[in-house]
Amino acid sequence: MLTSNMVQISIPLPESDSTTVAPTNLPVMMTIDGNISVVGKSSSLANLEKDIAFAVRETDNKENATVTIISEVGVPWSSVHKAMAIASGLKIKAIIATQPSKK
Amino acid sequence: MAVKKRSKVSAEFNMSSLTDIIFLLLIFFMLTSSIVTPNALNLQLPGKKTSPPPPKAKNKIVSIDESGAYTLNGAPISLDGVKRQMESLKRVDKDKAAIVVSPSAKASNETVVAILDLAYKMEVRAVLTEPK
Repeated sequence: MLTSNMVQISIPLPESDSTTVAPTNLPVMMTIDGNISVVGKSSSLANLEKDIAFAVRETDNKENATVTIISEVGVPWSSVHKAMAIASGLKIKAIIATQPSKK
Repeated sequence: MAVKKRSKVSAEFNMSSLTDIIFLLLIFFMLTSSIVTPNALNLQLPGKKTSPPPPKAKNKIVSIDESGAYTLNGAPISLDGVKRQMESLKRVDKDKAAIVVSPSAKASNETVVAILDLAYKMEVRAVLTEPK
C-alpha cells in the first residue's frame, strides 16, 4: 500500500515491455511543457548537468547511482539524450522509465 | 434472592486467526511487489568499463525524423518493417546482430523508445547516434 504510491507516475510514458531491477534513486522527470525536475527539485536543460552531479554527490550509494529518465510522451529526444550524455559523463547508469504496452 | 453468577470471560487470544491474516497479507505483498517492478529500458552508456565496444553495424541505419517516421538507409519503413529487418539480421548473425538508430533531435522520445524496445525484444543491439 505504501510502496505502490511511491511508484505512481501521473504522466504518460513511452511504452515497452522490458523491466529492470535497477534502483531508481535519481529520478529526472521531463514533461512536454518543458518542466524538468531532478530528484523532485526544479531544474532546466541548462542546469541539468550541475543538478544531476549535485544529486550524485548527495546520494548514499554512489557506486550504484542510476539516473532514471522519466520523460513524458512527446518530449523531444534531444532532452532525453542530454540526460543520457550527462549520466555517461558522470560514469553512472541510466534507464528510461516506460509503461507496459497496451497491446 | 438468588444472584446469578457472572460467566467468566476468557482473556486468552486466539492466535490461529491472527496467523491466517498475517499469511494472507504476506502472500498479497509478495505478489504485488512483483507487479510494481518498474518498466524501464536499460541503457548501456559509453564510458563505463563494463560497456562492450559498439558493434560494426553501419549497414543498417534506422533514422527517425521529427514527425516520427522511420527510414532504413534512407528508404521509408514501418515499425513492422524494422522488426522484419531485425529478424533477418538475427538469421544472418545471431550473436552480433546490431542496428544503428539515428533519431532527429526533435523526434518524440516514444518513437525512439519503440525501436529500442523492439531491439531489446529481438535481442538485437541498438547503437544510438547523436541526435541530428
